[in-house]
Amino acid sequence: MIPRPIVQIEGLHKSFSRGSEKIDVLIDLTLDVPEGEFLALMGPSGSGKTTLLNLIAGLDSPTSGTLIVGDQEISRMSETQLARWRTRHVGFVFQFYHLLPVLTAYENVELPLLLLPLSAAERKRQVLTALDLVGLSNRLSHRPGQLSGGQQQRVGIARAIVTDPTLIVADEPTGDLDSKSAEEILDLLVELKKGLNKTILMVTHDPRAAARAERVLHLEKGRLVRETSLYDLHPGGLNGDAVTSSPRRMEDVVREQP
Amino acid sequence: MSNLDAWILWYLDSPWRVIGAAVALLVFLLLVVYRDDWFFYARLMLKSLRRNLVRTALTSIATFVLVLVVTMVWTVLYVLDRVTAEKSQDLKAIVTERWQIPSQMPFSYAQPLSEGAAKETNDVRPSDSMTWTFVGGTLDPAKRTRENIVFFFAMDPAKLMRAERDERGNLIRTKTGKIVFNTMMDDLDQLSDSEIDLLDQACREMEKDRRKVVIGKERLAQMNKKVGERFTLHCINYPFIELEMEIIGEFPDGRYNQSALMHRDYILDAMDAWKRKNGRPHPMAEKCLNLVWLRVPDREAFRRVAEQIEESPDFKSPAVKCETASSGIAAFLDAYRDLLWGMRYLLVPAILVTMSLVIANAISISVRERRTEMAVLKVLGYRPGQVLILVLGEALLLGVAAGLASAAASILFINTYLGGIKFPIAFFPAFFIPLDALWWGPALGALTAFVGSILPAWSARQVKVAEVFSKIS
Ligand SMILES: Nc1ncnc2c1ncn2[C@@H]1O[C@H](COP(=O)(O)OP(=O)(O)OP(=O)(O)O)[C@@H](O)[C@H]1O
Ligand SMILES: [Mg+2]
Repeated sequence: MIPRPIVQIEGLHKSFSRGSEKIDVLIDLTLDVPEGEFLALMGPSGSGKTTLLNLIAGLDSPTSGTLIVGDQEISRMSETQLARWRTRHVGFVFQFYHLLPVLTAYENVELPLLLLPLSAAERKRQVLTALDLVGLSNRLSHRPGQLSGGQQQRVGIARAIVTDPTLIVADEPTGDLDSKSAEEILDLLVELKKGLNKTILMVTHDPRAAARAERVLHLEKGRLVRETSLYDLHPGGLNGDAVTSSPRRMEDVVREQP
Repeated sequence: MSNLDAWILWYLDSPWRVIGAAVALLVFLLLVVYRDDWFFYARLMLKSLRRNLVRTALTSIATFVLVLVVTMVWTVLYVLDRVTAEKSQDLKAIVTERWQIPSQMPFSYAQPLSEGAAKETNDVRPSDSMTWTFVGGTLDPAKRTRENIVFFFAMDPAKLMRAERDERGNLIRTKTGKIVFNTMMDDLDQLSDSEIDLLDQACREMEKDRRKVVIGKERLAQMNKKVGERFTLHCINYPFIELEMEIIGEFPDGRYNQSALMHRDYILDAMDAWKRKNGRPHPMAEKCLNLVWLRVPDREAFRRVAEQIEESPDFKSPAVKCETASSGIAAFLDAYRDLLWGMRYLLVPAILVTMSLVIANAISISVRERRTEMAVLKVLGYRPGQVLILVLGEALLLGVAAGLASAAASILFINTYLGGIKFPIAFFPAFFIPLDALWWGPALGALTAFVGSILPAWSARQVKVAEVFSKIS
């Protein structure tokens, strides 16, 4: 049985205008992400990865095309509607963590919960569960400045999962970490996928990070050029060359899907 | 119990107070219902303020100082406004010489003026009256220093304070427990029971022994004298007259801290004695009535009394005029009109604008520094309005706290330690900051914080998440 797609994108187009110049950043993009998938997005700088992620997370609106997340058409929502929707449906993990420096780990994770109608006790339980899941139960009252990069990123992940969102979106989550911490963060994401069946979209430049995903999409100049799936990844080993050595055209994949 | 009733009735008198109370109640309920969220928001705001302690401290100090200055200026204007505001009930009238300052009328005017020059049975009579004779003198004729010079109001002590007592001297109280008393002096109707008791005893002593006088605390301290001490007053405006005096009490703390009061008959008798000894009247004998105060029930009564007095043939040489106390003071303050206008319409607005700019500057710097944080909050699902509230709230918190601290500190420091604002205008010895400042201060702080932070808060609200996080190449 093929899981229901949680993200359905069709004919997505995004352009920015800079002065009189119009730049097409995403061009006629079509993509389905099934529920529970761990998907990596790769591509050269400026290819539109962050832009795509922002659109899926409801941080920006597409120029044209349809964008359905869960069962909602989010491309037509207003800014305030999107904000409400984000609280429940999207957890965002940043490259530079972006924790509020004045708040403790506990308070940072609590931030998104304040937007939901929860009692103080429920809120506390959820914050503690999330921090426990990322292995930081013993750092509740540390401020970001008192945590290592890897620990800060784990707080960031706890903050992203604390509302139990439909979708976790991560923009280069290991980009600022040493390889050991990066491994730990990737382990954690894989665990979230396996244990909680979370759908994860991760942008990365690191082939080793991409190798942990089930499927890797390659974006170039605003178009999906090829994709590699788990089955292609493993026979070729774990280095980056292997990943890109067995290209499949995006169109083929789309055609293969029922 | 009935005190409470009276208080509630007084409170409900003004629609503004009722609206104010309703708003306060609403805010309180909102705070209680949403207490967890508010705690969190407040904590977040406090922590943001704590992040840059130097900037927060400087902004607070600026707000503190400016609220202090506005409070002081407003205090002066507030007191002057209050005394020049025309009352429509129970007003006081002042009778003075028409063409000359200082006013010096013969004492023979005292009795008929106290009656409002009423002659016919249907003429209007004032409900109460008081005469003032100013007696200035020095404790040491060889050394006329500021400490040695005292100015006395010579008057009938019963008009200063008269509480009703039974045969055994106990104070008579109404059914609701209030002391029954009468005073013609301003601002003495708010005294505590024990203050009334003491002042009444002092006034009765003065009636028995005319040498006894009551002097304000500060004046006493400057004279380096204590209650119970005696001294000789060498009069300055009543030449050749020396008066033996005994200090029998102090005025209650406040408006009369610099005042001194003696029995009017003492100076009159002294002039009579001088006449007997020298065979001619004392040079001041026909000039020793400076002011007559009349109390009238309403404006119509005032109009008729003023007409009776000013049209009477008995007060033509010198001629007199009768005006309401407030218009009398207002006419006097006319000399300061430009100064007061400048304070009200130039100084205060200038300070308020400065305050707003200081706050706007601090808040916009901190918003610019935290654009990314605002964007992160938005990513987490905070709505634009909530981001606005966080920034606005931070400024309001600072403004209200600094304003309240400033008002409280000025009341404590200026009123109790400095003994009021010594602003040399009119005959006010000092201006005391009213308790109302406890709401002016925070309100001013809040207002300027709001004006100063609304633009930065709006720009925080408008932060575009996608722009903050995309590396525009
Ligand atoms: N708000 C914006 N206004 C104008 N142009 C933008 C905006 N956001 C992105 N762009 C442009 O869109 C293109 C794609 O940007 P995007 O950030 O999506 O690239 P990316 O693939 O994430 O690159 P990187 O790997 O460097 O993060 C770039 O040319 C960028 O300049
Ligand atoms: Mg990017």
